[in-house]
Amino acid sequence: MRVVVVYKWARNPTDALVRSDGSIDWRNARMTAGEDDPAALAAAFAIAAGSDGEVLGLTIGDGDASWALARGVERAWSVADAPSLVDNAATAAILAAAVRHLGEVDVVVIGDSRQDAGVPVALAGELGWPALVGLTSATTVDGRLQAARKVGGAAQTVLLPTPAVVGIAAEADVDRAPGMKELLAARKRPLTRLSLAELGVAPDDPESLGCAKPDSTPARVFAGEPAETAAQLVAALRSEGVL
Amino acid sequence: MSEDVDFDVIVVGGGVAGTVCAYRLAEAGHEVLLIERGAEPGSKNLSGGVFYCRVLAEVFPDFVDRAPVERRITRNVLSFLNDDSHVNVDYWDTRLADPVNAVTVLRAKLDPWLSAECEQAGVVVMPGVRVDGLLQEDGRFVGVRAGEDELRCHVVVAADGVNSFLAQAAGVRAKEPPGHLAVGVKSVIGLPRTVLEDRFRVSGDEGVAYAVVGDCTQGVAGGGFLYTNLDSVSVGVVLRLDDLQAAGLSSSDLHDHFLAHPAVEPLLRGGELLEYGCHLTIEDGPAMAAHDLTRPGLLVIGDAGGFTLNTGLTIRGMDLAAGSAIAAATAASAALAAGDFSQQAMDGYLRELEGSFVSADLRTYARAPGFLENPRLYTGYGQLLADVLHGVYDHDLTPRRHLVPGALSALKASGLRIDQLVRDGWAAARAL
Repeated sequence: MRVVVVYKWARNPTDALVRSDGSIDWRNARMTAGEDDPAALAAAFAIAAGSDGEVLGLTIGDGDASWALARGVERAWSVADAPSLVDNAATAAILAAAVRHLGEVDVVVIGDSRQDAGVPVALAGELGWPALVGLTSATTVDGRLQAARKVGGAAQTVLLPTPAVVGIAAEADVDRAPGMKELLAARKRPLTRLSLAELGVAPDDPESLGCAKPDSTPARVFAGEPAETAAQLVAALRSEGVL
Repeated sequence: MSEDVDFDVIVVGGGVAGTVCAYRLAEAGHEVLLIERGAEPGSKNLSGGVFYCRVLAEVFPDFVDRAPVERRITRNVLSFLNDDSHVNVDYWDTRLADPVNAVTVLRAKLDPWLSAECEQAGVVVMPGVRVDGLLQEDGRFVGVRAGEDELRCHVVVAADGVNSFLAQAAGVRAKEPPGHLAVGVKSVIGLPRTVLEDRFRVSGDEGVAYAVVGDCTQGVAGGGFLYTNLDSVSVGVVLRLDDLQAAGLSSSDLHDHFLAHPAVEPLLRGGELLEYGCHLTIEDGPAMAAHDLTRPGLLVIGDAGGFTLNTGLTIRGMDLAAGSAIAAATAASAALAAGDFSQQAMDGYLRELEGSFVSADLRTYARAPGFLENPRLYTGYGQLLADVLHGVYDHDLTPRRHLVPGALSALKASGLRIDQLVRDGWAAARAL
């Protein structure tokens, strides 16, 4: 099977600092792959290995896109001028155009990230393919795509037709730092830069009117002797009309 | 490049020393790998510093105009800080801007720039890799090991910083005694550019650097520093490890004490804390750099080699790092041309150093660490200066006295003795 793994290479939002005025300071945020991407990459290799196929890398946005190349992917494409979008459907439209650009593709594997939860399904919609998200792993058995997911407390195994989009949610941190030889090999592997114009997409995104710290519920702390603070708490609850 | 190596030279450490050395070697046409432990170059550094950057003119002729530097230092303030007074020597000179002598830099910006220059020159830059050890064959260092991978080269350059595990593992250096080391605790405080320029009386791209002794360290050997970046101020303390331990004080408390001092706090007021951290640094560079710096196939440069100078007035590291890197690159280049990587060939680095400002300055300031051990520097003299000036300016309606008798009576009151003063003055003249 020809498998495309879609990964994200961006500043880690959990490193970003929200200032008191609500503005966001990205200075100390590191470039990193999405937290589900290592699991997606592992699934892509498992699908390819079971079907004698190949894995292609696809990412959007600027920055060093060699993350996948250093982890065994032979060829990668980057839509370098794609902006970071709030609109998941717009992101999916860019990815769909890039997937079509790659020719015949059997499976698109994508990290099922919480930050961009709508992307995998919207991507499948753009491509007109079935989609299954929230998967824990995927592989190929007897030439057919097979995936595992959790339903309640049970682990379910499902068969999927191809082509398909599969969204993998990481259960654990499975990323492994590539070694020096892999990093050197990655430099020799082709990374093709695509542009939005080449793909014929012109994404539109909602306009941001600025950020502010969300309102927080005021907290009151009662300190002192237990009996006294309990009495204060009850009094406060009464005066607030709770009791 | 011969068949049996992956690279001519492998440089370990992507700071100023490592990048400058790698760049020089690549420019000379050698195959160079630069390995950096951090995810991005500069990510293992603490904020930045004052860079006496003239040395880089021979490597990057337009360094000051092209590199991401913050401000050009034209004002230097030496401050004797007491509990409730200070005496400053405030030296401003436009000559310091032409040619530019010192700039403030934030390493999170400078190191990626240096690294990009390396890439441009053909260096293979490899971040995110921790080198675990060196490969050794027949008494010669022939490569590096990281995880399961080994890469071979003709010359390894250890530029892996003050802790240099490589130099220690290679038996070049022992673990440093705490007396050679200091801990720096630093904050970077963001201020709007206009506020910063008004407060520090600087304009355009000019800036100011303070060196502070006295109450900033509460008597611990070391000092305070403060310098202006474009729209932030880097401020903190450097404390000699052995003295800090002996005093039983905490480095972060001393840092907080300095920042809250009434002479310092107004400079930082309303600012936003952008960065806070601590880092090991070198206190006695001359003693450290007196260690070996070479082995067959191995050169040790920058902080790893102990190239830092604290003269009390200036703290220099990056310029010496660059100077040692240039010397090492010249020696490695000659060794590659001759195909000779013996101890004698590597010692070409020492000969290059000997002819450079690096060795000259380390010799000149060899006595400075000893002089800076003098406890009177951190307690007595600042107060004495303030008392003398207090006598001059405090018109309390008692009959005025000439400056000299006033000073002598302040000296008497201080508990310092005139022979100490003379001895310390003489020591200062010889050390600084």
